[in-house]
Parts: sequence; structure tokens; C-alpha cells
Amino acid sequence: MNKNRVFGIAVAALLWSAFLFGAGWMGRSLLAGGESPRRPPAPTSYPATTNPLLDEVWGHVRESFVGAIPSDTVRNYGVIRGALSSLNDRWTILVEPQPRAVEKDHMRGQFGGIGVDIRVDDFGHIVMTPHKDSPAQKAGILPGDILIGIDDLDLPDKPDLNEVAAHVRGNPGTAVHIRVLRADQRMEFVVNRANIDVPSTDWHIITDTIKPGFFIGYIGIHQFTERTGAEVKQALSELKQAGSQAYLIDLRDNGGGLLNAAVDVTSRFLNDGVVLYERKHDQADVAFPVTRDSAAGAYREPIVVLINGNTASASEIVAGAIQDTGRGKLIGEKSFGKGSVQSIYDLSDGSSVHITSAKWLTPNKRAIDGVGLTPDIAVVRAANEANDGKDSQLDRAMAALREQK
Amino acid sequence: MQPEPVNNGNNMLKNIMLGMAGVFIAILIFIVGVTVGVSAANGFSFNGPSAFPVPTDRTASIGDGTPASSSSSGLNVTLMNDVMSRLRAQWYGDIPSDDKLTDGALRGMVSSLGDPFTAYIEPQYAKILEQDMTSRFEGIGATLKSVTGGAIQIVRTFDGSPARNAGVQAGDLIESVNGAKVSGLTTNEVAAMIRGTAGTTVTITLRRADRPKGFDLTITRGAITIPLVTSKMVGDGTIAYVSLYDFSAEASAQLNATLKDLLAKNPKGLILDLRDNPGGYLSQAVDVGSIFLKKGTLVIERDTKGNERSESTSGNGIAHDIPMVVLVNGGSASAAEIVAGAIQDYGRAVLIGETTFGKGSVQSPQTLPNGGQLRITIQHWYTPKNRGIHGTGIAPDYVVTRTPADELAGRDPQLDAGVEYLQTGKAPAATAVPTAAPTPSK
Repeated sequence: MNKNRVFGIAVAALLWSAFLFGAGWMGRSLLAGGESPRRPPAPTSYPATTNPLLDEVWGHVRESFVGAIPSDTVRNYGVIRGALSSLNDRWTILVEPQPRAVEKDHMRGQFGGIGVDIRVDDFGHIVMTPHKDSPAQKAGILPGDILIGIDDLDLPDKPDLNEVAAHVRGNPGTAVHIRVLRADQRMEFVVNRANIDVPSTDWHIITDTIKPGFFIGYIGIHQFTERTGAEVKQALSELKQAGSQAYLIDLRDNGGGLLNAAVDVTSRFLNDGVVLYERKHDQADVAFPVTRDSAAGAYREPIVVLINGNTASASEIVAGAIQDTGRGKLIGEKSFGKGSVQSIYDLSDGSSVHITSAKWLTPNKRAIDGVGLTPDIAVVRAANEANDGKDSQLDRAMAALREQK
Repeated sequence: MQPEPVNNGNNMLKNIMLGMAGVFIAILIFIVGVTVGVSAANGFSFNGPSAFPVPTDRTASIGDGTPASSSSSGLNVTLMNDVMSRLRAQWYGDIPSDDKLTDGALRGMVSSLGDPFTAYIEPQYAKILEQDMTSRFEGIGATLKSVTGGAIQIVRTFDGSPARNAGVQAGDLIESVNGAKVSGLTTNEVAAMIRGTAGTTVTITLRRADRPKGFDLTITRGAITIPLVTSKMVGDGTIAYVSLYDFSAEASAQLNATLKDLLAKNPKGLILDLRDNPGGYLSQAVDVGSIFLKKGTLVIERDTKGNERSESTSGNGIAHDIPMVVLVNGGSASAAEIVAGAIQDYGRAVLIGETTFGKGSVQSPQTLPNGGQLRITIQHWYTPKNRGIHGTGIAPDYVVTRTPADELAGRDPQLDAGVEYLQTGKAPAATAVPTAAPTPSK
């Protein structure tokens, strides 16, 4: 496994809207092809009632508003967003086409791009950092180059990161002209797009220095994407081969993702029972059982799970199931507490709507929304630890595994 | 000099508000007065009874009724119906009434203009706002604000108001109204619960520091007039001071009456305090400006089509000549900036304080068939010297700041500077803005 996790350009978009990647991903399984029995029926013809107020108000606006009238598209999104806001649910949202495209790329864990991280600096510039062996690096882009144009597009002041990402991305094999500012010099690069992988998981063996001969398999899961299930499967098989006697699952700062991925991952550690229950409006709870797979699993070895305040959504499903079943201890800080499931529907124009369609409950039917999971062993990671290369939560987790072995 | 404005302008003026900066809306909707037909349930529940019949057909949708992909006005009905049908099929919670959804859709549509002053106001709040702008309504006469943790607090009670007489104090926290908890509600929702017809009663449960367990007060609602003016003599009784809170319907009448009393004391100078005055009606700006300025253009308005009109002062005012200072700060907005800007342009007085808010647009309010209110920014306005102030504000002639620490300690360096300037002609020390210093009229 290549430990250099190559993050594509849109990773910066994570900053833009954490909830898309945390909360928003959940429940997409409901959409996944014919395999889900709970896929909602396609809308039949809905007789629209007349709503003359919208037209009347817009008529007044067109007649007398002093500023520029926005396009119909902007207006349509405004109407939908406004109607959704009357639900008072922060997770039920409209996602416009460009962020939606970025979001899809991230769910897949792969897209056609050039392999750079982008971030906005204090001056509002977009600063690039190409990844090792990426198309961007091969073309000559250096860390610190400021992005000013993509093909025919000149970037505006304070550009939208999703928009930038959408323009940079494209089918593998196609070329994109990247214009940059380097030490006040304008430069242009032609970059051939390639498939950029966005792994969701990394793993390695930790050799215990305190207890000789004790090997711990570390599995860090950063998001629950379409590839997470397969990655964790591969991780377990490699770590087992390497002599792992216990597992440390790191879900800190994992904001969630796909529901199915959470069920898959949990099923690698629980060989029986229920991962979660889903509770819909006015309906009986639906159990999501552990999925059976004869391939690699770790059903007997000691495990611990690291969580913190950014452990949310799909991550809390995994952690909650492991805690409820007594399979392993949670160590760290109280988790985020996102206990709702969103279904994502793509609309005709490329935008999508995320709708909170259910709450989920742990195997013991605990509702964690707004509450979070309380760790079995509370360990706070001090702010300066990362700078000092320390990780007291990881240390405590290793101690816990050592005690069990 | 502009010709005398034609009379038929007045009707139009009445209907035009200077939008009021956001602060104004915020302040006014906190005022507890009367409203008709607004119940607590209607105010905050998504499922409460609505003022208009709700179709029983759950498939009712936002859109204009045509199955085509877009309506004549460009609304993508297909997209909206798709969203609504998904929502009705999937959403975990209860779907709000069609009225609530429509309110949301209108808010969202109007906000797509990107202008914070063009707004849709829902029916239940439109009513309260209208009454607030008249400065007269029926209620208990207290203002509210929302404090950290979602509690609602009494900001102040008016002199002689039912709230004051019943023992309500500034700083009291409202626990419940007629037994209904208010935690988590907005101030205007709570205001709507407290308001009611004069003569009826409302029971409020309050908490204060020395009575943490809470206590009930039953208050008989009355007719309330919001006082818009306060005044006093300062500088050892030589300078008259008058503060105007906003430019709602009673503003110029109250100001004029107060000034008459003040001027009878033969002050050497006058301080007009427009600090934290968020504005109000354009017609009130004209009337207030007329008190201080001789006949002339007060403000010029332009729309995007190039239409221009101007408003002129009447020429009849009782304070055209007295030496004067106007106090302004970042909370002086809209109509307050029109008056301050014209006074500065004509050199009628010096402005002391801080740069004003910078709201140079005019809104026209109209009532919609559902009782809601639509406010559209229709014009930008300019000072008599054709200065546009939108987004920049008016720089005072003399910058004097008032820090939060000053406020806590009850100090007012801006007022002190005004008094000293009028008494001695001495410019405030070290903070003078060199570029703009009109000679004060003497």
C-alpha cells in the first residue's frame, strides 16, 4: 500500500463544506442501483398547484429592483433553497451542480484530475501543492504556485473552490492549460489529466516497543467512500500476513460518508448481529445486519477504536456498533453526534437534493443525534501534541490493547 | 435650489421607506405591541394552523401549475416539483404547510438577488412591523432581545407603560408567556405572543438575579406610544441636546414638539444625536430635515433606468439658524444619513462621531395577497452635492470615538466634544479629519 495518500484537487473542498462529506454522504446506499429494497419509487406525475405569489413577487422585482436581476437558474436555486429552509433541518439541502460533481468524485474515491491540493491563502489567492508523481508535478507546477487561470477562464477574486475544482477536472487523457503566478511571473503549463486516486484508508504495523513481539495493526479511516470496504478488507489481509495480533481503528476526524461502507467495515469486526437500525417517519425500525463474507475479518483479536469530536455520522455507526456489542473499547473524546441519514437525489440539471430520510440507532437502539458517543476511556489530545509529534490517545489505545493481550 | 416639491409627491413618499438597515428591523420587531390573529402556535410551529386554507392534497407543490419545464417567468417547475415530491416521499419530519413552504420559497427567491435590503416578510411579522412603524400599538410597552443560550430578555420598559407599572425591569428574563415556554423562540415570536388588544391581560413568568425561581406578573395591555425623542440641557444649561431614535411615522412631530420646549430655554447651541438611529420613512427624513435646513434639495434618488427625482425641504422649520452639532456613529443609517449628509453638504452643522453605516438605498414596501410584505430596493439616493454613500457611509467632520469601556463607565466623549465645540468653537483634539471641514454656520 502506498502510504502517500494522493489527494486530488478537490480535497480542498472539504474545508468548504464539511457536512457534505460527513453528513451528506450517508444514505446514498438507498440510491445504489437495484440492490436496495428501500429505494423509493420514482416520482409519478405530481400535479403542481398554482403558486401565483412566486410569479407576482418576481414581477415586482423585475419591474422595480435597482440592481441586476439574477439568472433563472440562480433564482430557481433560491426558491428551492428557501423552501427547504422552511424545514429547519440543516442537513436537508440543495447542492448545486459543481459541488455535486466534486462530491460524487469523492464518493467514488477516484476522478480525472491533475493531482494538486489547493488552498486559499490570506490574500484570497489559490495556492497549489502538486502531489508526488502527479500530472501537475510532471508538467512542472511547483508548490506555492498561484493559480490564476484554467483554459480560457480567468479566475475571479475570491474564486469558489468547487468551481475551480470542476474546471481543473476532466476526463483522463485530456489536457488542461493551467496558468499560474510564480514570483510575479506569469507562466502556463499544459497538464495531461490522469486518474487521481483518493484512498480513504491507510494502514501499517505498529511494533510495540514496550511489549516485545507484540504487533498491532493500525487502520486509519478518513472517510467512508465507495472504496473503503475494499480497502479495509485489503488492510486486514495484509496486516494479518504481517503478524498483527490486535487492531487499532482510528476514526478521529472522520466526518462520515456512505452508509453501506460503514456496514461493510463494521462487518469486518463483528461476525454476527446488527450494525444499526434505521428509523423512518411513521415506520417500524429496519435492521441492517452484519454482511456475511468469508474473506478476511478480525472477529476475535482485541480491537480499540479512536474517536474525537469530529468523528461523525458513518464513523459513529461503526464506533457505536463496536461499543454496543462489547467488541472493543472507544478511546478519545466524545463524538460529534450526527444520527440522521440523508438520501441524495440527483436532479435533472446536475444539482442534487440531500434529504434527511431517517434517524439511525445503534444495535442497542441508542439514538446519538445531538448526543454523540461517550468514549469508554476518555483521553483528551492537547492542542500542542500534533506539533510535538505526540499522540496521547494513540498511546492510551496501545496500552489498552496490551492489557487485553 | 429645487422648486417646491409637488404635493402629489407626499402620497408616494408615505409609501417609501428607507428600508431601514437590518438593525432597525431587528429592533422594531422586538417591540412588544399588538397584533391581530397571531397565536403562539402560528408563530413558531411548522404544523400550526395557518391563516390560509391548506390544501388537503399532500401532493400540492410549489410551482405555477404547468407541467412544462419552465413557466413563463423562468421558474423551473420540473426541478421544483422533483424536489418537493422527493421531500414528501422521504423527509423524516413532518412536511410544513404549503404556506410555510411558500414563505420559504419566497424568502429564498428574493435572497437570490443578493441584496440584504430586498426582503420578503412573512405575514405574521409584516403586521407587527407595520404597527411598529406607526410607533403606536397595543401591548405592554417593553422591548426584548434574545441572549446567549436562547433566552429572551427585557431590554427596557417605556415610561408609564403597563410593563413598567406592573414591575417589569430591564434585564428580566422571560420564562413563559401565558404558561407557554419561550425558550428557543425568536424575539418576534415572543413579541407576537405578548401583544394583544388593550384591556386584555397577559401573564408573563419572569426570572431575575434575586428571584431565580421565577415569578408571574399579570399585565393589562394598553395603548403604547413608543417615545422616539429624549432631550436634556447640557453644558451647564447652555446647550440643548435632543436624541432621535428612528424615523418612524411620529418622528418629526415628536422632535418638533421637543425642540419647541428646548428652544424656549434660549440655548446657545443645539446637539442633534442621530447615533444608532437606523432610519425609517423617507417622508420623515424630509420633515426632520426641514426643521434644520432652509428650503432646498434634501436628497436625490435615482433608479437603474436613469429616472431621477429629488425631495426638498419645506422651508418652514424652527431651528434653521441655531449653532448646531450632529452626533453620528456606525449605527446611524438610512434616513439618519440623509439628514446628516444634507446638513453636512450645506455646512449647516459639523458632524462629530464615527463614520455612518452607509445605507444609500431606498425600498418600496408592498403588501402581498397573503398578507406578507415585499420590500424592493428601487433606488439609490445621493446627498444634495451628489455624494453616493452606499457602502461607504458619511465620514464625520471630526472623528471622536466612544469605546465600549466609555459606555460601561457612562462616559460620552462624543457628546462632550459636541458641547465643547459649541461653547468654544474648539475642534475636538487630535482626531480631526483634515479633508472635510465645512465652516459651521453661525
